[in-house]
Amino acid sequence: MGYIEGIMISACINIVCVAGLAILTGYTGLFSMGHACFLCLGAYTAGILTKFFGVPYLIALLAGGGTAALFSLVIGIPTLRGKMSADCFTIATFGFGEATRVVMANINHPYVGGALGLSGLNTDTTLPKAIVIAAIAVYFARNYAKSQHGKLAIAVRDHADASELIGVNIFHEKLKALAISAFFCGVGGGMMAHYYTYIVPNIFGGTMSTNLLTAVVLGGVCSVTGPVLATSVLTATPEVLRFMSNWRLPMYGLVLILTMRIRPEGLMGYRELSVRPLIRRLRKKAGKHSRDKEVQHGSFGD
Amino acid sequence: MIVQQLITGISIGSVYALLAVGYALVFSVFNFSNFGFGPVMMLGAFGALFAIEKTHMALFPAILTALAVAGLISLLMEITIYRPMRQKKALKVYLMIAALGINTCVPNFCIQVWGGAVRPFPSDWAKAVIRIGGVVVPRADVLAAVLSIIMLVLLWCFLFRTKLGLGIRASAFDSNTAGLMGINVNRVAAVIFLLSGATAGLAGCFYGMKYSVYPNMGVVATKGFVSATVGGLGSLPGAVISGLLLGFLETIISAYVSTTYRDLVAYGLLVIVLIIKPNGLLGQGAHDKL
Repeated sequence: MGYIEGIMISACINIVCVAGLAILTGYTGLFSMGHACFLCLGAYTAGILTKFFGVPYLIALLAGGGTAALFSLVIGIPTLRGKMSADCFTIATFGFGEATRVVMANINHPYVGGALGLSGLNTDTTLPKAIVIAAIAVYFARNYAKSQHGKLAIAVRDHADASELIGVNIFHEKLKALAISAFFCGVGGGMMAHYYTYIVPNIFGGTMSTNLLTAVVLGGVCSVTGPVLATSVLTATPEVLRFMSNWRLPMYGLVLILTMRIRPEGLMGYRELSVRPLIRRLRKKAGKHSRDKEVQHGSFGD
Repeated sequence: MIVQQLITGISIGSVYALLAVGYALVFSVFNFSNFGFGPVMMLGAFGALFAIEKTHMALFPAILTALAVAGLISLLMEITIYRPMRQKKALKVYLMIAALGINTCVPNFCIQVWGGAVRPFPSDWAKAVIRIGGVVVPRADVLAAVLSIIMLVLLWCFLFRTKLGLGIRASAFDSNTAGLMGINVNRVAAVIFLLSGATAGLAGCFYGMKYSVYPNMGVVATKGFVSATVGGLGSLPGAVISGLLLGFLETIISAYVSTTYRDLVAYGLLVIVLIIKPNGLLGQGAHDKL
């Protein structure tokens, strides 16, 4: 497996997770400091299923995502109900992230493996599969954002009370966004498990959650493609700047502060990166071209 | 045995209470949680550590140094980051993300500069123990409890007996109207960040004395936040009571159940309180602001 290929697979895994987190952070205004725990749950579920039960890779990924979504309800129902502040949700996710790690490291069942983790998985996450899954994830995330659900979520984020008055169920919208984002992260975790071929609870720590959040905030808090672009850049940059690898985390923190201070809507802001304007422009050009031809034909005809 | 645990509980609880008071102060006026307290607390503790190591200062001036360092850093954060954002009318979420950025940037920067090593707090006075009957009490614990109480009483006097304190309380009630009534809200903000930073610095000193000083010690501040939430965000008495409660619960769990699960107590408590009393133990009902 080539070095470049490895970086591209990591980027694809990050894209899947970030597309999920962007739904939560961008469209409901909640942000999570513990999304790594959903990766952890997804990775363990998918890993155990393929290793001990011989379940096919894709089904295992979906099961991992499902488990993560299920556990997200455990954290979501108490913290999102009622008019609790978003801060509370943030700290609760942080706590849930730590709790998942501690509990995983202390389960000594042979399936889980305690602090030693789970090893000897197959390398099922190949580059073509990773690219396809990432593309599907981005497609679904964009569809969510453009759908009725995404619009309701934006309404809840921008003015919770006003949207409640016109009949939006705030709790349901927030919970839905959380469950979807957890599902994406669970799938990403499953991909990660089958790329590294081993998982230990300690890699799913606060650093991973911060990396995901940095990508979302830098890319634009109300966009899916912006964060996806940002995470690709953030995954590739440390590889180029190897000599600065120790300074990566302070840099990430600085990036968060500066983005908020200078351009709080992120690089892409409320826009989406799309090929549609390009196509439209091309078509316009082509259309003009053919009309010109018709005119010419016409003149010839006369 | 139980008395011993109670004393440990009080000393760790007073650290949580101090941190929670800092969160509650900022929240009551600006309605957002300053997650940047962790680094402030850590820098305060390092301030005291360096003051003792480099200049051979006595313990009490060193603690005062920590208060000053932490207060100033908190003020610096407000002036350079939060104030311009507030003036741009940034969303609350953006303030919180900036605070998280501070929380990621500063400790990791300090790890690169000073190394991630765990350092003991260099004070022989604090390490000595007092024996009362069969109970062994470290002096640091007594100091933590006494100074925390003094700090909290001073804070209370400041808030309820001075003109500036009245301004703070008015701003806590409604900062826009307070501004219209001629209260300089920016000055109130500066005072609040200075005060909450100083309490965080004190908490950092005690935590450093009790355990050790290291760049990632700011993680403890999340427990301060949990106490502030459990007590009802914005409520100072609630913050103190739930900070002490959390301290007790943690010591009792680690003594009688398991130390592995000690850190989970705080989050369990948070979830339980949110389910039963969503506004916290002493919190007022959430107002609908339209």
